[in-house]
Amino acid sequence: MNLRDNWRIIMLTVFVLASTFALFGPASAPDADVNNSSSVGASTDPTNLKYGLELAGGSRIRAPLVGTTAENLDIEQDNRADIRSTVASEMDVGGGDVNVRLNTENGDAVEVLERNVSEQRLRAALEAAGVGTEDATVRSGVTGETRQQTVETIQAKINRGGLSGGTVTDQRSATGDHFVVVDVPNANTTQVLDLIGDQGEVRVVAHYPVSGDNGTEYRNQTVLTNRQLERSQIGVADTDRNGRPMVPITLQEEDAQNYSQALVDTGFTSSEATGGQRCRYREQPSDSGYCLYTVLDGEIVYAASLNSNLAESIESGEFEKAPTFQMQTTSMDEAQSLQVNLRAGALPTELATDEGTVLFLQQSLGDRFKSRALLTGLIAWLAVSGMVFLRYKNPRVALPMLMTAAAEVYILLGFAAAIGLPLNLSYIAGFIAVIGTGVDDLLIIADEILNEGEIATGRVFQNRFRKAFWVIGAAAVTTIIAMSPLAFLSLGDLQGFAIVTIVGVLIGVLVTRPAYGDVLRNLMLNQQQRE
Amino acid sequence: MVEFVVPEPDYDRYSNRQLAAVPLALLALALLVLAGWYLMTGAPVTPGIEFTGGTEIQIATDASQTEVRQAFDFEPDSVQPVAGSNEFIVTTQSADNEAIRSQAESAGYEIVSIQTRSASFGADAQRLALMGIAVAFVGMSILIFVLFRSFVPSLAVVLSAFSDIIIPLALMNLFGIKLSLGSVAALLMLIGYSVDSDILLNNHILRRRGSFYESTYRAMQTGVTMTVTSISAMTVMYIVSSLFKIPLLPDLAIVLVFGLVVDLMNTYMMNLSLLRWYKYEGVAR
Repeated sequence: MNLRDNWRIIMLTVFVLASTFALFGPASAPDADVNNSSSVGASTDPTNLKYGLELAGGSRIRAPLVGTTAENLDIEQDNRADIRSTVASEMDVGGGDVNVRLNTENGDAVEVLERNVSEQRLRAALEAAGVGTEDATVRSGVTGETRQQTVETIQAKINRGGLSGGTVTDQRSATGDHFVVVDVPNANTTQVLDLIGDQGEVRVVAHYPVSGDNGTEYRNQTVLTNRQLERSQIGVADTDRNGRPMVPITLQEEDAQNYSQALVDTGFTSSEATGGQRCRYREQPSDSGYCLYTVLDGEIVYAASLNSNLAESIESGEFEKAPTFQMQTTSMDEAQSLQVNLRAGALPTELATDEGTVLFLQQSLGDRFKSRALLTGLIAWLAVSGMVFLRYKNPRVALPMLMTAAAEVYILLGFAAAIGLPLNLSYIAGFIAVIGTGVDDLLIIADEILNEGEIATGRVFQNRFRKAFWVIGAAAVTTIIAMSPLAFLSLGDLQGFAIVTIVGVLIGVLVTRPAYGDVLRNLMLNQQQRE
Repeated sequence: MVEFVVPEPDYDRYSNRQLAAVPLALLALALLVLAGWYLMTGAPVTPGIEFTGGTEIQIATDASQTEVRQAFDFEPDSVQPVAGSNEFIVTTQSADNEAIRSQAESAGYEIVSIQTRSASFGADAQRLALMGIAVAFVGMSILIFVLFRSFVPSLAVVLSAFSDIIIPLALMNLFGIKLSLGSVAALLMLIGYSVDSDILLNNHILRRRGSFYESTYRAMQTGVTMTVTSISAMTVMYIVSSLFKIPLLPDLAIVLVFGLVVDLMNTYMMNLSLLRWYKYEGVAR
């Protein structure tokens, strides 16, 4: 066999070997970083292929972020705080829900992280804060910075919440909208939404009675903000000496000073607060005495008095030297979720799940799709084989044709394994598209080379090969053009299909289909010589 | 043994007008169906829940189909049993994932899978899909004109590809198939597939030696084999994947079968008549 004449076959062999290595060799690089691949390799699978949610099972939540952003503003650095507070009060939202960001991709921006913000009201609020809005554009969504922070926080929550292998990405649709995509294998929707469905903002609020002119009234004061809690040291959820679930928290020095000052000022360290006026929130929520509320996303999840030992150590100043206290909860589950919320931090804004998609699939169903899709593909391939045999009757033409079509899919699978592409159903549609165009092209090559019964050699072969290649090339370029809008516009679900088709057509036209021409020539020449 | 030989049609018996009349009439009829559908429903093709928003839930239960239908607060669009299992697939326009989950759980059903898309997300996806098809079609047309550099043969290819998309769309309405991700993928694949046999025919007739009918028959031998092979593969895939209830694949396969059958007609009647006119009369002008 002449190496120079058969370089195409050699190239095909090299590609097949490389695919074998990628598919069955020692697990390659993408495996090392589980957090960055949105799939888990099933342990029973002998290959290095990765499967996406539709084939592996798990949950996917894809949603835009809640918020409205005004961009292309012109804001002085020094006015940021003023603008923030003015806009917040004009819009009647909390100060934490308004951000002023300078020098974003679209100039200076102000974002309001609340639902149902009207453009008109935001513009009016900005005008009231002295920001000109003639050139401003207002859109739903948040700034890139906030999006980035949210994605990182969600990722942290998923990692710490015990949902392993989850990934969070920011996806941009062709219409310019951003979606946060959260993929968690082996978890159901409830588990995921419990973890990240809400912002997870934790505060400690002092609720205490004050005697005034009209008798006793209650006041609320935040004594530990979410920010202060986030920057303290959060211990591991555990039970205390009395077996009650809790999370130990060690505050920063400055925060500890403010915290103890606030507690002393509001009377929490008094003997009344730890004695007769102890917290009785559970019995009498309307007249509860001195209570420290643990507030999660605006809801009171736990209420308790200040522990008398702690009260003493705050009074004596001991606390500030070792500012550790225990945040109690009603159950161990709550303690763990509190720990996750505190450690990962609050989400800057919520996921608008009602404007996105939610998908959950049992692993068993994914496995069923996997095996059945494989079977469907095989049966379709057999149908193709049947037709090809009926048409050519000569196994020397038909067999290599079917082998080549199979090799194409094999190389494509190797490619998917090598780059760690998580396979989904739409990719399987792509494989089918590739086999389809592949068989078309192989038929064109076979008919061209076998033209008029004479087996071409040398220049005649090259000439016929080139003629066949013109048609194949033209058809391939059309397919690639037809698929590229979907591949580059990022239409989520069909993107994988488009990418697989494009890569498959490229592998086919550049590697496998030309090699078939050479294989066919060699086989037919052999046959002729024997005759 | 069965033989698969591409028959040689006797094109001489028919005039160009006669040949082109059938595909053009069908194309006109298809456009009429789409227009009528648009007037009646507000969309040329009925979009499925992937584009309108809604929920598809697959549940495992020993309950009967009627019981499943009544277990939910909403009126389900469809309740389909999954062959060979005790599972049902329920679809609905409601996009309240949480409510549907809790209703299924309180009815004692095991949720095998659930997928919800909000209406706004679906509308975006639909706009993108249509845009994708339009851009793909325009891109393909430009490429064809660049490749052949003559008006009539290029137009023949583009017109045939156009019809290959329009007639299956009309057929989808007639057979009650909704527009889904699978059928959008199929329509895009059709742009690529349908052009294969057209390019082959044009190439043989315009760029090769030999008489018009010789070239035509040679192109047909290859082209018809190509298309028939694909049709048989897709028919088999439609049957198997429908039985298996694999999402995406049945829609994709059936729309491809429609398109490929239509492509046989368009390529060897409409495209051919335009080429024959171009070869014998158009060039002479």
